[in-house]
Amino acid sequence: MKLGVFLSEYRADSTILQRLSPEKLGIILVGNGVYHAAIKEKGQSSQILDLKANFYALKEDLETRGLDASKLDSRVKPLSYGDLVDLIFNEYEKLIWM
Amino acid sequence: MADVKLAFIVSKPPYKSEVPKLGATHAMAYQTVEILLEEGDTVTPVLCYVGDGVLNCLKGQKAMDIYGITSTETHLKNCLLVDLDVYVCKEDLENFGIQEDQIVDAEDMGAEKKLQVVPFETIKKTVEEAKHVLYF
Repeated sequence: MKLGVFLSEYRADSTILQRLSPEKLGIILVGNGVYHAAIKEKGQSSQILDLKANFYALKEDLETRGLDASKLDSRVKPLSYGDLVDLIFNEYEKLIWM
Repeated sequence: MADVKLAFIVSKPPYKSEVPKLGATHAMAYQTVEILLEEGDTVTPVLCYVGDGVLNCLKGQKAMDIYGITSTETHLKNCLLVDLDVYVCKEDLENFGIQEDQIVDAEDMGAEKKLQVVPFETIKKTVEEAKHVLYF
């Protein structure tokens, strides 16, 4: 299964993602989920980013929050809304929202 | 004559819901409340950002450009313009690695007041001294 997951919370329980273990996992950080890509706590990146997945963060939601899309964790690719539409139509068979 | 102290505590990050922005809106509304008080009575509000709430205080928010909504940054600037005391927890800013020059100011709008980065102990004392604590 090629699974795309929208993650819109900063304090999220990611254990279900580890258990699903899809053949391809994309985590799309939107809303407050974008803090996973841009903020470190005590110098440590979000543990979500340790999952085996492709990570994306919506530029519009980063900029809304005063976060710089050019300074994300290197594992995360910033996306525009247009890029996001292409991604969900072309790369993933199923999408869930967390 | 009495002074009623109010503490507005915001602990949630901005935009996912209206709640954190309402903290600032309610704190600003103290001026309206004073109209209803007895002569000489006053209300002293303090707006405090703690935990994930300190993320509300990042400058450069483009909510109006992108989503057409007033940014939390603009809300905070309005708080400073009405001389509200706004405390931001020092320890929580440090936890996120946010420097003081990354947080909102309202110099461009002519406000002299600034966000005050304070230790959590100061916020705790504010809560202890407040007659009412409102949590957002």
